[in-house]
Amino acid sequence: MKQKKIFGLSRRTAIQILVYGGACAALFALPLFVGNDFLLNRYSRYLVLGMVAMALSLSWGHAGILNLGQGLSFGLGSYCMAMALKLRTVPVHTGSDGLPDFMVWNNVEHLPWFWQPFHSMTFTLLAGIFIPVLLAAFIGWFMFKGRVTGVFVAIITLATLVVANLLIIDQQPFTGGFNGITDLAQFKMFGIEFDAYSKSTYYLVAACLTICLFSCLALTKSKAGLILQAIRDEEDRVRFFGYDVAAYKSLAFCVSAAVAGIAGMLYTIVMEFASPTFLGVPLSLSIVIWCAVGGRKSLLGATIGAIVVVGMQGALSESALFLNTWTLIMGAVFVLVVLFLPNGLAGLVEIFQRRIAKKDG
Amino acid sequence: MELVIQNILTGISLGSILLLIALGLAIIYGSMGVINMAHGEFAMLGAYGAWSLNHFFGLGTLASLVFIFFGVALLGLIVERSVIRYLYNRPLDTILATWGIGIMLQQTVRLLAGGELRYVEMPPLLTGTINLFGVSVSGYRVFIFLFVVALFAMTWLLMYRTKFGTKLRAVVQNRDIAMCFGINADRIYGLTFAYGAGLAGLAGALIAPLKSVSPEMGTTYVIDAFFVVVLGGVQSLFGTAASALLLGEMTAWLGFYWNDTIAKAVVLLVIIVLIRFRPQGLFSFKVRS
Repeated sequence: MKQKKIFGLSRRTAIQILVYGGACAALFALPLFVGNDFLLNRYSRYLVLGMVAMALSLSWGHAGILNLGQGLSFGLGSYCMAMALKLRTVPVHTGSDGLPDFMVWNNVEHLPWFWQPFHSMTFTLLAGIFIPVLLAAFIGWFMFKGRVTGVFVAIITLATLVVANLLIIDQQPFTGGFNGITDLAQFKMFGIEFDAYSKSTYYLVAACLTICLFSCLALTKSKAGLILQAIRDEEDRVRFFGYDVAAYKSLAFCVSAAVAGIAGMLYTIVMEFASPTFLGVPLSLSIVIWCAVGGRKSLLGATIGAIVVVGMQGALSESALFLNTWTLIMGAVFVLVVLFLPNGLAGLVEIFQRRIAKKDG
Repeated sequence: MELVIQNILTGISLGSILLLIALGLAIIYGSMGVINMAHGEFAMLGAYGAWSLNHFFGLGTLASLVFIFFGVALLGLIVERSVIRYLYNRPLDTILATWGIGIMLQQTVRLLAGGELRYVEMPPLLTGTINLFGVSVSGYRVFIFLFVVALFAMTWLLMYRTKFGTKLRAVVQNRDIAMCFGINADRIYGLTFAYGAGLAGLAGALIAPLKSVSPEMGTTYVIDAFFVVVLGGVQSLFGTAASALLLGEMTAWLGFYWNDTIAKAVVLLVIIVLIRFRPQGLFSFKVRS
């Protein structure tokens, strides 16, 4: 049987691109129907979290690396942006040359050296991506060269996350400790000021999400993407074919970290603060849950999973009826999804497709 | 010299608490490959059990232990029968499902007992201090240590000297063949999970007087316990004990020279490096896949 090709793409890929494009177009159209800036801010937040879940889908669903420390890249990106925006504020209590207020409270006299470069926005944007990537490259090389797999990957990533979280809380004079970095300036780029409660920030987030989504889709469709899938399903066989499994896994791990780093930076812009809870264990576990609910093997599925779950949390926790029971409901939903929909909501789509195909054939 | 003994004893005390929590997890993870993220919540339930039995029925902590063990074990059995048993061929998914169960338990407790901190009193017999090698140690911590040793011995006997343990080990080694010999594998797994959960309940009840009791208390415990189990080596009870002791001592010494946070971070880094080079665990000697 010969497959029909559309612009040199297989039918499946073409449909996927159409669906992804449609979803992104819907994101861009949303502000036309939502005039409320408060709601827009909340939707931007959902989209950012969708982006992190998508990043996890890339490493977990497509390469079999269960990263329980996705919050590490996310939090580092977030802190990079927060540091830069903090330096741009006009603090009420200022030390010499605009020292951030929490440093003044902690008797720090000079801006520490690792804060200095964040005066430059170009550096910040690069740092927000490449600090998580370099760290991921190191951790990835460390784990995958030693052929660490499965649960042990989960443990190592989780432990790294906890270490980072402890250090950030401990180094209060330089990181703001428990309180994180608050009272930030607004992000400015190309002469546009991105107010967190405005359409501009929403579009910024939607644009970043679209770009990342399509870049990751391209990666999964490339040869490297195929090899990653093969590694996920049968690692040893791929190794016997002579591929450098560790290098490919590190690649997926790094790209995932880059996307999470970008999402982290956006999160600071949307939330207007950075907090050690971004590197907390509960958030990272939640990311895994979103990814599982949406469908770990589908980038768009994971994104939508995060948006749906977080959106549901937001909606349920607000209504008086579910104020106290929404966590209970969410817990039950997770358990049911894991039991009956191992591939999440995206798996549901596939089940329907198969049904239709059966009827046709 | 006194400082050295003091640090060693602190380490032993920390290690015994770690082992207390990790023991149940070690059995569940070691024999069934299930990563039970709800383990911390089982411990939390144990702590609330101690609090409520004391608060409403005036029962002392020690007297309530029996009720707590069987209560939490029963809950474990229900969880295993209704959820976990469908996931034996998907071990990584057990992380997700048990985490979902965990947050359900947390919220249930929050609804029933309120979110505020609760305090459980120490048994009055054990509030004093004991002089050990010229260092005074809290009596309750010595009691926990002895209790853990007894619990560990009991678990070892259960695993290696009873018919139940033999059956369990048979099922772990080869489920199908074991079932051919007439062993009811489902029942064995269910009871094992219940036993592990019951141990978690005991751990929570015993720790309750040392820390404050809150619905969120389980999260930190489960992660520490998990590190202990993996470091010690799956399916090795003595490995779990040794790694708990090792981590306890490391935390005590590092915490003495730096602060507690840095100590914890360094211990975690050591764990990361050890897992990388010995994923089978520090103290497991037979490797069979």
